[in-house]
Amino acid sequence: MSSRERVLAAINHEEPDRVPIVIGASNATGMKVAPYRGLKQLLGLDGEDRYIYDWPELGTVLPDEPVLERLHSDVRGVFDSFPAATIARNRARPAHSPFVDDWGSGQIEIEDGTWYPAVHPMADATTIEAIERYAWPDMDDPTRVAHLHDEAARLAADGQYAILATPWLLFPFERAFAMQGLEQFLMNLAAEPEFAEALLRAIAERCKTLIGHVLDELGDNVDIIKIGDDLGTEQSLLMSPGMYRRILKPIHADYIAFIRQRTNAKVFFHTDGDVFDLLDDFVEIGVDILNPVQSGSGKLGNLAEVKRRYGTNLAFCGAIDTQHVLPMGTPDQVRAEVRRAIGTLGPGGGYLLAAVHTIMNEVPPENVIAMVDAAVEFGRYQIRD
Amino acid sequence: MADLPGLSDAVEAGDRDGAVALTAAAIAEGVTPQAILDAMTDAMDAVGEDFQANLIFVPEMLVAARAMRESMALLEPVLVRAGIQPEARAVIGTVRGDLHDIGKNLVAMMWRGANIEVIDLGTNVTAEQFVAAVETHRPNLVGLSALLTTTMPSMGTIVGALRKTDLGGARIIVGGAPVNSEFAERIGADAYAGDAGAAVVVARQLLGLGAAGGGSAAPALGNAAT
Repeated sequence: MSSRERVLAAINHEEPDRVPIVIGASNATGMKVAPYRGLKQLLGLDGEDRYIYDWPELGTVLPDEPVLERLHSDVRGVFDSFPAATIARNRARPAHSPFVDDWGSGQIEIEDGTWYPAVHPMADATTIEAIERYAWPDMDDPTRVAHLHDEAARLAADGQYAILATPWLLFPFERAFAMQGLEQFLMNLAAEPEFAEALLRAIAERCKTLIGHVLDELGDNVDIIKIGDDLGTEQSLLMSPGMYRRILKPIHADYIAFIRQRTNAKVFFHTDGDVFDLLDDFVEIGVDILNPVQSGSGKLGNLAEVKRRYGTNLAFCGAIDTQHVLPMGTPDQVRAEVRRAIGTLGPGGGYLLAAVHTIMNEVPPENVIAMVDAAVEFGRYQIRD
Repeated sequence: MADLPGLSDAVEAGDRDGAVALTAAAIAEGVTPQAILDAMTDAMDAVGEDFQANLIFVPEMLVAARAMRESMALLEPVLVRAGIQPEARAVIGTVRGDLHDIGKNLVAMMWRGANIEVIDLGTNVTAEQFVAAVETHRPNLVGLSALLTTTMPSMGTIVGALRKTDLGGARIIVGGAPVNSEFAERIGADAYAGDAGAAVVVARQLLGLGAAGGGSAAPALGNAAT
């Protein structure tokens, strides 16, 4: 069974030969540079570090093929690009000065090599006029997607791996808080709901425009398309289910419908935190794959209940804890975590093993190896019973 | 006639204009500043309880705190003239290496809502800055926040540095996404607070303070790691 066949079986809720592994194919399933360098050292590989979106400030690597092969990754990512003008502007800026993206939001450097989103161009906006006046990015800029067709065609011709398309942060809610700051936007959701909804809609329209171009370029050469919006915290949700259903859910529903009209690829929805109380909503609006299944948070930690109630409608990608087990656990504890996730989410297919979000800099490379090797060992379906 | 229940309702609902107007009216009518303050702290107590019970979420908590903050701007000079002091003082910050501040800000807001004076050191705060702030402000509470797993060791370093100084009885509370009570205990903090509502409850337990509204002080509960 090829990696691609393995992934397709799993996301179609059938048992493949083993649980597929997703690593390195997007930011949320990716790896920061320190564990990556550690892995290359362990494997005796060298070569320059490359970054997804060609974006060192984000710090998530584009792993070389030999590393992806050693990690048994069954998926390969295809990424959009910042507009050429944005890349040129940032390359020409003084070292250590803020990185500002095409939307006008950006990161500042806290200490050498550590960047944090702190540039919010619409922080003070509360009116519809401010939305109309804003200098929004050109989503039709062809340099965003010019490389995509050939890259995906090459992967598809090879046929070995499932193709996950991950255009950068085409997430309406997360973009809104990039534009305003999280606190400011959450306050506007409560106090200025008409403005907040108009901002979300203005952003969502632009997300749709770009994802439309991405899908046009990919044609049939895509198996999974990633969108999302972080909606949870470790304990609960960032907003009430009522507020989600009133303001954001219709926007997500329209967005997913737009995608479904253009592709047969599965919709992979990334949303951090304990989103258990929204899972029925996600099923209703057409989410196929839930990521990252933050297993250390609230009700989502009850993986058995998640699988029992939603396993026929949702596939799951993630669930391997990145807050405690991967950074602080021993390789044996990592193996136990993998075994638990596979034993709970794996039966009947519908599970792709991945870390809950990016593998951060403090994760020992030995734990990354332990995670994927345990997945190969415990994920084999024919010996499950 | 002054409408203190109305003021409580306005703060709780995050109605900043209503809360400010009712505060101004109450001050103008000569209502005792303590009674006006109690109306606000009662409201924030209800906000904290509703938040912990998942009846309201972060957006509603933020706008309630904003309504109180804007009303307090009117009330503070009156409180000062009347010689009314906050019940306690806290120093708070997001630890070195981390700029995430919404959790820290929510705790600061809720502590202020509980009539605790808060000195907010901001984000990316070093051990030296925490120690200096403790020496300068002599707080009853020190709050440390972190979102990134990467910065958890920094939290341990800061607690270690604080323990080596004369804390003057100040109690250390830690919180943030990757933090839990076992971690709090391991690094030598006095308590862990899981969210901004819990931070008020834990602070009151550690300091032996009663709930808002002029109720009698509860006995100290000692180490209240939850």
